[in-house]
Amino acid sequence: MSEFAIETQELRKTFTTPFSSRAVTALDGVSLSVGRGEVFGLLGPNGAGKTTTVKILLDLTRATSGSASILGTPTSDPESRRRVGYLPEGHRFPGYLTARQTLSIFGRMSGIDKEMVEKRAMPLLERLRIAEWADIRVKKFSKGMVQRLGIACSLIHEPEVLFLDEPTDGVDPVGRREIRDLLKEEAAKGRTIFLNSHLLSEIELMCDRTAILRKGTIAAMGRIDELTRRGTTYKIKATGTPDNLVEALTAAGASIEKMNGHMVLNVRDVEHLNELIDSLRASGAMLHELTPVRSSLEDVFVDLVRATDGEGTPASTREVN
Amino acid sequence: MRVLVANIEEVFREAAARWTLMAYFILSSLFIIVFASAVNLDIVDGALAGAKLFGQSVQSRDMATGTVRIEDLVSGFEGVFAPILFVVGIFLAIFSTAHLVPRLQEKGTIDLYLSRPVPRIPLLLSRYVAGMTLASLNVLYLVGSIWLIVVWKTEVVHFRFLLSGGIIIFAIATLLALAFLIGVVTSSTAVSIMGSYGIFFLTMILAAHKQIEAALTNPIWIWMVKTLYWSLPKTFELQMMVYSFVAQKELPEQINNGVGLPIATTAAFAIGCLALASWLFKKKEF
Repeated sequence: MSEFAIETQELRKTFTTPFSSRAVTALDGVSLSVGRGEVFGLLGPNGAGKTTTVKILLDLTRATSGSASILGTPTSDPESRRRVGYLPEGHRFPGYLTARQTLSIFGRMSGIDKEMVEKRAMPLLERLRIAEWADIRVKKFSKGMVQRLGIACSLIHEPEVLFLDEPTDGVDPVGRREIRDLLKEEAAKGRTIFLNSHLLSEIELMCDRTAILRKGTIAAMGRIDELTRRGTTYKIKATGTPDNLVEALTAAGASIEKMNGHMVLNVRDVEHLNELIDSLRASGAMLHELTPVRSSLEDVFVDLVRATDGEGTPASTREVN
Repeated sequence: MRVLVANIEEVFREAAARWTLMAYFILSSLFIIVFASAVNLDIVDGALAGAKLFGQSVQSRDMATGTVRIEDLVSGFEGVFAPILFVVGIFLAIFSTAHLVPRLQEKGTIDLYLSRPVPRIPLLLSRYVAGMTLASLNVLYLVGSIWLIVVWKTEVVHFRFLLSGGIIIFAIATLLALAFLIGVVTSSTAVSIMGSYGIFFLTMILAAHKQIEAALTNPIWIWMVKTLYWSLPKTFELQMMVYSFVAQKELPEQINNGVGLPIATTAAFAIGCLALASWLFKKKEF
């Protein structure tokens, strides 16, 4: 049994137009692995390759080269989707079906029998707060309600892996919170969640790890706190510091800036930080707070997306562990 | 099996919600009512004393002498109506099922189906079976109702008329296979319907391929007509077979290849269309 729920290796996808030599590279060597029970977010601007990655994982489209597997089964095998739930972006359920009928038809297509679907349908619709709409045709639903039904449909067969493409799209803020809570509950049950979203706050609130795609390559991947840590910059709050602190620290190879009752210290590395703290305490100062300075995920995202190839951190090589 | 049942259920629910079932039922019922009111037979002591079609007396030399057997007249009526049912049945069936693949392939819909643990070919074929089930039930309603009316009005039981429904269903299966192939390639309901009807009419013309070939001088054109005739379904021949089978008459002269070859080549066309549609659907990227 594979230790990973989702794994891709050097995925490449090139779209070509018939009768034309023009080709567009959508994915250029994407390798990632998502552990079982992990909540993983995939971020990226439009056209970065997020949807193509998910489509390859679900065999809706085929990679030009590379390999992908779900729970150890190659994605080319339909069995790889037996334990997978998927909420596509902009999904269109048949409008002539009711919510209950939709769950019944797609549940059976996912391999569970009608009795089991009937048993699970109402509790699921209740959790998603659309139980009173169970016997109303989907065409009467608002966008947010269709989205909730989509989530119910992706959960009806109790999958081990969930792929969610913009799960809160069209949902009001309260509804978003409810969906996030529901997904957290599902994650707590051990389901692996692969979240594809434009909403950085959603990724920040839900994901254990995140990958940022840029022009078909992974520009960064890691835990949110690691991605947002701004290198070797720390915020220090201390009292009883010597008058010549700035000069002393500058002489020791650090740069320091005083602002609003605290100091922002830039060091070479963690060892350097420890040396400076030792000397600071040796000088009689009392340390009250020492925290790494973080960027917002939005800052990280925008910086990475704006960076051009050959400038700054090379794409697909920056991984934070 | 679950996938097949789920697909059939969905197709029927769609047909009901979109009024297709109702339209099917109303149009077929209208045809049946027209037939029931058009045919008026006067039977005395088990013998035919007079017959009217759309209010007009049907004249016959034998009828005048009162020696015509009612069975013969019923065979004649049924022989006229069965080929009409052939055309009506096919048109209604294609019109109500040609959307099944284009709608499946719509953006936002196809993802919902293909993300299930169902191989693509069984998914496509289960839609085909669902469409055929819907069309076959309508043919059974059409043919069965008219058969019952004839039995009720004449007490003559001709199972051949009932069995002719099988040939109609076979022709529908062939054209629906073509509609599925066009649907997979173009994702367009309109093109699927136009293509199927176009082939239906083209094959009606090609039934006269011998005469067309005789009128042509260029060997390439002759070869093309011959190739088209043998590669496309033989809908005209099937229609004539329905007539001959029901009326218990010889096949018309222009069908000089017997019944085996037209049926075999039509079946080969249907299987070829379904196989190609399945292969393309399996390879297609969404």
